[in-house]
Amino acid sequence: MKAIQVKQVGGPEAMEVVELPVPQPKANEAVVKLAASGVNFIDVYFREGRYKAPLPLIPGSEGAGIVTAVGGEAKFVKVGDRVAWAGVQGSYAEYAAVPADRLVPVPQEVSDPQAAAAMLQGMTAHYLSHDTFPLKKGETALVHAAAGGVGLLLVQMAHGIGARVIATVSTEEKAKLASGAGADDVILYTQADFEAETKRLTGGKGVDVVYDSVGKSTFDKGLNILRPRGMMVLFGGSSGAVPPFDLITLSQKGSLYVTRPSLMNYIATREELIARSGALFKMMVAGKLKLRIEHTYPLAEAHQAHRDLEGRKTTGKLLLIP
Amino acid sequence: MKAIRVQHTGGPEVMELEEVPVPKPKPAEAVVKVAVAGVNSIDGYFRDGRFRTPLPFIPGQEGAGVVVEVGTQTKTVKVGDRVAWSGVLGSYAEFVVSPEEHLVPVPASISDEQAAASMVHGLTAHYLVNDAHKLKAGETALVHAAAGGVGLLLVQMARAIGARVIGTVSSDEKAQLARQAGADEVIVFTRNDFEPEVKRLTEGKGVEVVYDGVGKATFEKNLNVMRLRGMLVLYGMSSGPVLPVDPARLSEKGSLYMARTTLAHFTATRAELLARTSALFGMITDGKLQVRIAKKYPLADAPEAHRDMEARKVAGKLLLIP
Repeated sequence: MKAIQVKQVGGPEAMEVVELPVPQPKANEAVVKLAASGVNFIDVYFREGRYKAPLPLIPGSEGAGIVTAVGGEAKFVKVGDRVAWAGVQGSYAEYAAVPADRLVPVPQEVSDPQAAAAMLQGMTAHYLSHDTFPLKKGETALVHAAAGGVGLLLVQMAHGIGARVIATVSTEEKAKLASGAGADDVILYTQADFEAETKRLTGGKGVDVVYDSVGKSTFDKGLNILRPRGMMVLFGGSSGAVPPFDLITLSQKGSLYVTRPSLMNYIATREELIARSGALFKMMVAGKLKLRIEHTYPLAEAHQAHRDLEGRKTTGKLLLIP
Repeated sequence: MKAIRVQHTGGPEVMELEEVPVPKPKPAEAVVKVAVAGVNSIDGYFRDGRFRTPLPFIPGQEGAGVVVEVGTQTKTVKVGDRVAWSGVLGSYAEFVVSPEEHLVPVPASISDEQAAASMVHGLTAHYLVNDAHKLKAGETALVHAAAGGVGLLLVQMARAIGARVIGTVSSDEKAQLARQAGADEVIVFTRNDFEPEVKRLTEGKGVEVVYDGVGKATFEKNLNVMRLRGMLVLYGMSSGPVLPVDPARLSEKGSLYMARTTLAHFTATRAELLARTSALFGMITDGKLQVRIAKKYPLADAPEAHRDMEARKVAGKLLLIP
């Protein structure tokens, strides 16, 4: 089969197309023929070595396709099932071996590209808005990078719940996308200070929750615009890692909460994985959640997909089609 | 009137009994004849200068007594009302002046001593289990310093909710008190490391919530005894302030939450203050909450009260009787 391999960590060019044997399933695994593979920042982190994995590695941590073989002890799936997954390395390939308990069924109404595009970012938006801080109607959420992959989905879900959404974006074009997704107010942080703007928009009260995947450049100001007892949900660090901070800041600024969640802890059991992906697919089928697939690339152009992603000009999902 | 005054910050000996004029109320204030004043660790922080306030000052944040004079614009209290308060500096005196919105009515079923003893610790325990982390039946809570002022009340409230309570204490005598208060398990941390003990007692799962007023000494191990997505509520720092925290540790340890809380943010509105005190006094009246008064001192013995408090040998509340 064809696959993308990283033999040495580095730039996008470190990803090469190679010919490898189709993987055989271990006892608890299934082999899936990939129809679409999602491109994510975590793939970049593994490629460049910021996150460590044994080399050579096949990048890619989400995909959708059809089960072609199952291991002797694999439960939950059979040959021919349409499935999707997130959080298992190796999806930049024609076939991937995945622990069977990580595969979720994909309903007929959801296409392979839609399923592959939804797994990581969709489930992330879902756990953030439904579990990490279960948003309620009437609450106000600040969503940073609101036109980003998770951002656009998070805005739609928060809006769907009935929360007021204040979004931050970097350009007019992205502002339009965030508004289109349901943001009530959009702050162009390149033109206006989001701290002052958020205070003004909330009449000085602040927001109930900040969803922050930007990190270093937004964290401190984020604490200043939380209402007393509000929550900072830090779920990424696209501007760099937040440095260690003094906890007394949290009490001084109003008995605040901070959490640093990751998706794997919110799909830790099969039961939760199935419930979360099921809820997500249901929203998509009902037309309540629109996924923006910006571009699809042939597998061999994975390096171009990474260049585009790292250039931060994309506002929707990038997919590889093996 | 007689009052304890601090002319310059320092050890317990800087608190001197002096003769000072009875305070006069501003328009929205009331003057209260103090029947009982509570002794709290925060009084020590103001006395030794860790927390700042203009000098000279009269220490003490908490008490109970009878209104003897009201300002011209007071609305909620009148002369003769039995009241209690917290967060009003100047309570180590025969009379204290307080903004009327800090004064709460004390029902006839509650003694002055019970009222004064329960304002800071009782309201703290109440917001910790009901709001900072809303404890539910079947959850497991780790309560540090379980025989301390807040601890003994927190254990009783957590138990009444139906949670499983694991307490940590420093001595066998305190262990007995924590058990009497309803702790299911008590760890004498001077003999047993609480980290492996909590893991053992929860079969490796960890606890849903840690209530920690200790701070520095317990912080690191706390992160290892929480279940996935568990909550650390830091409400004090009796062992010193926690060192700055890298938020990435929260995701490494399982998408944990952290809050650093103070009572003022949980009694910020008059409505919330009244609701919380009324719930607290209701529990005391119904016999569901025992307030343990460890020792009473005449006002002049405030230095001795602070010495006893800071030696960490007392289990329960210390009171000054002017």
